[in-house]
Amino acid sequence: MSNRTNQAPGSLLRRWSGAHPLSLGGFVLVVAGMVVLPLVVTNPFYQNLWTRILIFGLLAMSLDVLLGFTGLLSFMHNSYLGLAAYAAGLFTINVNPESLWLAMLVGVVFTMIIAWPVGWLQVRTGGLAFALLTMAFGMMYYTVAWKWHDVTGGDDGLVAAIEHGLPKVAEEGMVPYLDINLGPWNLGNTSDPVHVYYLVLFIVVVAFILTHRMVNSPLGAVLEAIRENEERASFVGINVRRFKLIGWLVACGLAGLAGTLWMFLERNIAPDTMHAFEGAEVLMMVLLGGMGSLWGPFLGAGIFILLKDCLSSATEHWEIYVGLVVIFLVLFLPKGVAGLSSMLRRKPSENK
Amino acid sequence: MEPIISTKDLMRTFGGVTALNLVSLDIYDKQLRSIIGPNGAGKTTLINVITGKLGASGGEVFYRGQPITNYSVHKRVRMGICRTFQINSIFMGLTVYENIRIATQLHLGGSGRVFARRTSLKKVNQEAESIVDRLNLNEVAYQSVENLAYGDQRLVEVGIALACDPKVLLLDEPTAGMSPKETRHIARLIQELAKEVAVVLVEHDVELVMTISDRLTVLHQGGIIAEGPPQEISNNCDVKDAYLGSTKWAPLLETD
Repeated sequence: MSNRTNQAPGSLLRRWSGAHPLSLGGFVLVVAGMVVLPLVVTNPFYQNLWTRILIFGLLAMSLDVLLGFTGLLSFMHNSYLGLAAYAAGLFTINVNPESLWLAMLVGVVFTMIIAWPVGWLQVRTGGLAFALLTMAFGMMYYTVAWKWHDVTGGDDGLVAAIEHGLPKVAEEGMVPYLDINLGPWNLGNTSDPVHVYYLVLFIVVVAFILTHRMVNSPLGAVLEAIRENEERASFVGINVRRFKLIGWLVACGLAGLAGTLWMFLERNIAPDTMHAFEGAEVLMMVLLGGMGSLWGPFLGAGIFILLKDCLSSATEHWEIYVGLVVIFLVLFLPKGVAGLSSMLRRKPSENK
Repeated sequence: MEPIISTKDLMRTFGGVTALNLVSLDIYDKQLRSIIGPNGAGKTTLINVITGKLGASGGEVFYRGQPITNYSVHKRVRMGICRTFQINSIFMGLTVYENIRIATQLHLGGSGRVFARRTSLKKVNQEAESIVDRLNLNEVAYQSVENLAYGDQRLVEVGIALACDPKVLLLDEPTAGMSPKETRHIARLIQELAKEVAVVLVEHDVELVMTISDRLTVLHQGGIIAEGPPQEISNNCDVKDAYLGSTKWAPLLETD
């Protein structure tokens, strides 16, 4: 029995992460690859595309925390990306056009303040009702963003609301570029796509590591139990509603983080991004990549966005082909691409 | 001696049907109390109301004299009121060890630790291991419970309840669907447990109930019609009347 808990002493990194050496090696390799990517891909359009993949990967991962680890479905998780993007953007336009980190903090905190009472209500329902409520609230946010023209800029997005902002910002007519400062050091500016890419990569890697820690923590074990059997979870003493709310807030906070990054990248946010169609796309990314793996959703986001890019430049009716590919993957890879890899990895160890 | 659980005039109705009718009973520590009765007598409903799965339509439930009628399920579990289910309710996608471990984690604490590893909760893991040991599930400890034989899943069901650190253990037909050998194993386990905590057993196997129980409560149409030691119950005329004509209860009538 005890040989499971007495792990062989490994490197500090390995002990800290608790990850299998193969996975850890893979992770380091992928991150290294992402670090050198802008040196290879010098076209700003593709640099922007990769940044978007990372941001949507983070959003899809946040949905995976809910869907794959807590067993809750959020149909319009993109709305929390939108909320944070609006909050960070409005903060930059109206309050402080200098600090990137403050804008990020404001975006995430605002999202969680909205998500708290909404989540409080949602966790009091179960299953389908929960999922439908996420949609109802998502539609509400969308409508507010669309109709509250004076604040949000309405259909055209935040750029249309710049005129109401600080005089300095209004003069420029755009959400300002921000300096990326770390303490006294200036590391770059969001006007450079490569700098934005590295900023996003850094935040995404940190968020991934922390989330990975969380799902493997005792707290993660509680969420897993709720996913597997809600009734039994309460009968081992779990306050199911409270922990569902924690899972929901973590997921919304991470989505909010992705939203602030979106604002730094695009310098605009329009209601489109909060639409139900986009929500379905995020869900597809998670299913494509494989839920319950955390890294799968990044892969899903990559596949989805690259596919969309290729197909939309080839044909006007790209949605049809995306749909076909998704149907194929769902039929033949029900656990997503991540499921394929764990299938391959499990084979040899089963004979032990 | 103060009862650990007592119910006073407990009522539960479903629409127009009265499932529990003024049930008052006291359950004492280190006692094996069996609840028997024909199908639909309200045995499972009684367990559901005591454990909080169902609310009471009237009356009160007390834990060591404290009214807990409106307490949530998880709060009662934390107090030590733990149960098993008639139909397996376990964490299907998890391993045997993880099934037990989550329950030990909840009562020993540490669930709020967000960035620690699960292996860092040493006491939690040790206790989970000792319960896996106790149930003789060592060989399958790291298998997903969905791949286990039914009897072993049933043991996991009991194991989870044990891992909650029960003061009162309510077992809803733990031997349902088990082989005679597995039944003996469970029976022995239940007898051992009754030396440590209060055990409430709902069981259809009358022979088993008669041999291992300290006291019996007989439910019929939602009400208690008899209560006492096994010998007394098996001689009770009311009980015989309640089951007359039901061959399923023949062993009960033969014991005298």
